[in-house]
Amino acid sequence: MRRSVAYLTCRALQATLPRSLKPWARAVRNETASIEDDTEALLFALGSLAGLMPSAVASHLGRPFASGTGEDAVLSGGSTISALFQTIGHRPRAFGIACAIGAVALGLTYMTIAGAPRRYLGINFGASLIGLMALTLLGNTIAGSRRWAGGAIFAMAGALLGTALLGDSAEGAMRWVNLGGMAIQPSLILLPLMLVGYARLRNAVTTAAIVAAAATMALQPDRAMAGMLAACLTVLVIIRPDRQVLTALTASIIGFAATLARADTLPAAPYVDQVLYSAFDVHPAAGVAALGGSMLLLVPAIVGWLRDPDHRPAYAVFGVAWCAAFVAASLGNYPTPIVGYGGSAVIGYFLSLLALPKLARAPAALTAPDTRVLDTLPRNRHLLVGLA
Amino acid sequence: MCMSRTRALSPHARSVLAALLDARGQWSHGYELAQLAEVKSGTLYPLLIRLEAQGHLEAEWQQPVEGGRPPRHAYRLTASGVQLARANPPGQTAKQIVLGGEATA
Repeated sequence: MRRSVAYLTCRALQATLPRSLKPWARAVRNETASIEDDTEALLFALGSLAGLMPSAVASHLGRPFASGTGEDAVLSGGSTISALFQTIGHRPRAFGIACAIGAVALGLTYMTIAGAPRRYLGINFGASLIGLMALTLLGNTIAGSRRWAGGAIFAMAGALLGTALLGDSAEGAMRWVNLGGMAIQPSLILLPLMLVGYARLRNAVTTAAIVAAAATMALQPDRAMAGMLAACLTVLVIIRPDRQVLTALTASIIGFAATLARADTLPAAPYVDQVLYSAFDVHPAAGVAALGGSMLLLVPAIVGWLRDPDHRPAYAVFGVAWCAAFVAASLGNYPTPIVGYGGSAVIGYFLSLLALPKLARAPAALTAPDTRVLDTLPRNRHLLVGLA
Repeated sequence: MCMSRTRALSPHARSVLAALLDARGQWSHGYELAQLAEVKSGTLYPLLIRLEAQGHLEAEWQQPVEGGRPPRHAYRLTASGVQLARANPPGQTAKQIVLGGEATA
């Protein structure tokens, strides 16, 4: 098991590093293979991934602007910040990854100040690596293929329904599945991805999947996720109304009403629920970290909305989905995404980035000076975290 | 007007350079280096990449002695790397550098 995870980690590293750094990914992989002890090998691989990822992200973001200085200019002292700010409008998904990493770091900061057990920090950090790996591997293989998207959204609805029928229950709520002793909340992992995907691909199959998801949230019951569904579909109706989304919205409102009618008696869990409410009481720095991390998660939606008019429904749903999760966490005993303890939301956020466009077509007035960059982007197949 | 700026090497960078210097021109491997320099692999590889990009380190693929093993990446200092390592021994602090003092080990 440990050897397999180490191998998977090395594969993820190879997939994410830019071409010029691929030999180093191979070096890490072969070095890991030469370590006899499985635990040591796993730690070596995970450490390498964590250490090389920031450089790789910087290299990826800075690459279009590094002509003349080599694609790894960032590693040798190029202006990462400058490249980042110029690139964010063109690479919504890569920008989202950067925001997610920042939010996870701020969440870890909050938990450290608040005195959370180290295991909690490890789980959130591990979940961010898993989310990043999943995003990378899925993005490089299936994402972008519209013919698979409808089936994938439908399959996710089936997985949610399976949780409501066969999952673990607590205080009358059935929202979790047990994976190796860890309680996972599939709705936090899958629902945001489904919703952003639905914003981009609306047909009978995906509408049926969303209706099924609404029924599932009522069955579980889960007010937070049912509210997220209703809020996102309301936004879609406002932006681009049609019969299908109206049907989905109706189902989501009925589902949300059903969750409101049922008592939700789950008590608050420390470092999970009411984080935004309590963080400033712990320490001002903890409050700033929790609030800053939460705000950071919404930035990709705002920037995407402003810079990429073609995909505004997707950005709006992305932003509203995570905003709804924060509102729910502020009003009731529901998990605070990313900044609070819980790997499901961390993985869910990374996965929801999969439904954002990889490359944005910015308004002409904004892109005119950079058309050279856009022209070169589709050919950069090896770019870091080259998703979809 | 162009001004150049040199940064003081981090303690980890000094440890890695010292481990490579101790190898006296012999090739070293990543895991072994991480243990000798007492740094995490996540610290080691970015350092090695940077050192190689700056010409202080050379790397080569070495075929395994045992069959069935993958080739390993091995590293040793170049002449400029040796100079850099000697000029930045472990234990020299940024304050000493600012003051122009040499490390006294």
